[in-house]
Amino acid sequence: MPESAWEQCISYLQTELPAQQFNTWIRPLRVGDCSSTILQLLAPNRFVLDWVNDKFKTRIEELLNDQSVSRKAVEIAVAPRIEGANLAPIASAPPQVSSSQSRSPGFSAPDRPSIPINEQPNNHNIIQQAAGRSGADDRSPPQSRFVDEYQSAEALNSELQQTDSNSRSSELLDVDGNNFGRGYVKRRDVEGGIEHKSSLNTNFVFNNFVVGKSNQLGLAAATQVAENPGGSYNPLFIYGGVGLGKTHLMHAVGNALVQRKPGARVVYLHSERFVADMVKALQLNAINDFKRFYRSVDALLIDDIQFFAGKERSQEEFFHTFNALLEGGQQIILTCDKYPKEINGLEERLKSRFGWGLTVAIEPPELETRVAILKRKAESVSMHLPNDAAFFIAQRIRSNVRELEGALKRVIASAHFTGKEISVELVREALKDLLALQDRLVSIDNIQRVVAEYYKIKISDLHSKRRSRSVARPRQVAMYLAKDLTHHSLPEIGDAFGGRDHTTVLHACRKIKELQESDADIREDVKNLLRTLTT
Amino acid sequence: MNTKTPVQLSLNVSLRDDATFANFYAQGEANAQALFALRSVLDGQSYDNVLIWGARGAGLSHLLQGVCHQADERGLAVQYFPLADVRGYTAADLCEGLEAMDIVCLDGLEHICGNSDWEQAIFHLYNRMRDAGKPLLLSSHTSPPSLPILLPDLKSRVLGCVVYHVESLGDDGKKMAMIARAAARGMEMPADVATYILSRASRDTAELFTLLNRLDDASLQEQRKLTIPFVKSVLGREH
Repeated sequence: MPESAWEQCISYLQTELPAQQFNTWIRPLRVGDCSSTILQLLAPNRFVLDWVNDKFKTRIEELLNDQSVSRKAVEIAVAPRIEGANLAPIASAPPQVSSSQSRSPGFSAPDRPSIPINEQPNNHNIIQQAAGRSGADDRSPPQSRFVDEYQSAEALNSELQQTDSNSRSSELLDVDGNNFGRGYVKRRDVEGGIEHKSSLNTNFVFNNFVVGKSNQLGLAAATQVAENPGGSYNPLFIYGGVGLGKTHLMHAVGNALVQRKPGARVVYLHSERFVADMVKALQLNAINDFKRFYRSVDALLIDDIQFFAGKERSQEEFFHTFNALLEGGQQIILTCDKYPKEINGLEERLKSRFGWGLTVAIEPPELETRVAILKRKAESVSMHLPNDAAFFIAQRIRSNVRELEGALKRVIASAHFTGKEISVELVREALKDLLALQDRLVSIDNIQRVVAEYYKIKISDLHSKRRSRSVARPRQVAMYLAKDLTHHSLPEIGDAFGGRDHTTVLHACRKIKELQESDADIREDVKNLLRTLTT
Repeated sequence: MNTKTPVQLSLNVSLRDDATFANFYAQGEANAQALFALRSVLDGQSYDNVLIWGARGAGLSHLLQGVCHQADERGLAVQYFPLADVRGYTAADLCEGLEAMDIVCLDGLEHICGNSDWEQAIFHLYNRMRDAGKPLLLSSHTSPPSLPILLPDLKSRVLGCVVYHVESLGDDGKKMAMIARAAARGMEMPADVATYILSRASRDTAELFTLLNRLDDASLQEQRKLTIPFVKSVLGREH
């Protein structure tokens, strides 16, 4: 068994190598194709591949050949990411185990559900109004040639080798930044190879979606789809700026579908993975497995569809998948940062189809919703967030929910660390970097330029030997700022000011420090200059 | 597959032995909080993505490498990439499959800003790490809102990280850090020697600690204590 030889090999390597090297380079490897003369190891990416080839391959071969009478060569390759697609995307039920196994990176191809989960659409006035822009009336059936292609692919698929059933369990991961540090699944050890899970996130449900004016249409639409999948609102196209909760809504529909029908096959994935899987499927001549996989689901949820732009082959494949799913009454939900017609680099036929169902926008939340989101998130981790502190954060972080949540996490971490209650003061301190755009990366040249401008003197005056007060004081201020804001040594600072001695710099720094205590003008000057240089 | 293509391994992903948490002089509450946050990630208390930022010499690389050392001790798979030095590899070469790691540390985010391939690769990596329930730890020498990231999807994710400012040590802190690190190496550094070093040598923390290594070597060879005349003579030598 090559795996057992490899297992023995890694147990040797574990004792030979420092833990850091073993964990970084050896643990992610896993066994690929094997023959009597070759053991193929799969690395997660080309960088690991190169490193292992360069540093460890010879030793691995030695260890393997010590254990065997026949010599075996080691070949290291990049693992095809397509295997991630084996991750039984079905969010609830485990995949059916196929009768035979193959090493080919096919997809766990679950049978098409015998009973579609869709029911008769239940039209809803609000949603119909919202759909006005989507052009739902111009819906036309998919062209027959695509149906033909799909059918022929299905026929071909039936002859294909059964795919690897060694798919990882469809355990649901309780992750993402939207969770406030509690209740995550335990970390899994990496046992080599690529794990690419993209199943539903059970944290994203309707119950914890905070609704406001900006997203109420989106929520209503998503609720409708959850109740009537595969009906009139197919596809559901949710669009809006970054970090506004599109992904949350999408998962919420998926989770609701699974809750309503525990056997439902609901696939969530990012568009990047669809593209990557397709590329690998083409490389490995497994495109039919790919087609079968994506066409056999009850609901397909694809996030950030704008990343299909410019990827023509992926668009074509998605077009066929899209038609097949629509034809089969399976629900499609897509998110995007733009309205369909505005996506550059996307084929017109796709843009048009994206508008067949229901298109809803999610807008940035208004102040009250931002406050409500903050209060709700704080509550979820049993933290008391006073109204004034919530308003303080919400008034300053306006762009999107993700950033709002990141800021709140920082505030909560600070409260935990200091053992203090959340207050405006604590918020101000915890978020000062985000709020003030403070940036202390300044050069001596920049300091000299700003100081010279401020005091209306020439930069050359700062370098000169002149000792009149009108020049000497600004020079001292500039030296003080150079020491405060840069890492240059005192001799280097002296050099930058016309080759002065480090003791002159030291004197200047002491002088300005003293003057700030006694002279309001100098204090004001330094404050203004610091503000100019650090924002 | 590029198994046959020889590629120069130009990316230095080796960790500095001395870049450990124990060796990090966490002066002030801000730095202690950053350290606490990173420890929480290692302890599994938090799976938040964390971004630490600060000026050069503040110890960002030190902290991320400290995470790697700690992760190793706990048997976690961790990958550290200094983004300032990724010659010879594309973004996809480095980011592909990294979600197999338990923790990924990307040091110097500012170096890839404006490079659309890198921005997209890190954006996708962020999503894959999120889907796999694993934390991404980032560092930047620019304050996060000032990072010139072009891809809005990445920008919002970076700003959605839990952000900690690692403050540079002031002169007093640098003196204390030098004295503490010298003590850890079995050398006694009097306060006046630390003051002397700070007023003559580079005040960059990394360079100060490099100088400390030189002083350690020289004092061992010459069997001398750390005095001002001895430090002066070492500073005057070519190295």
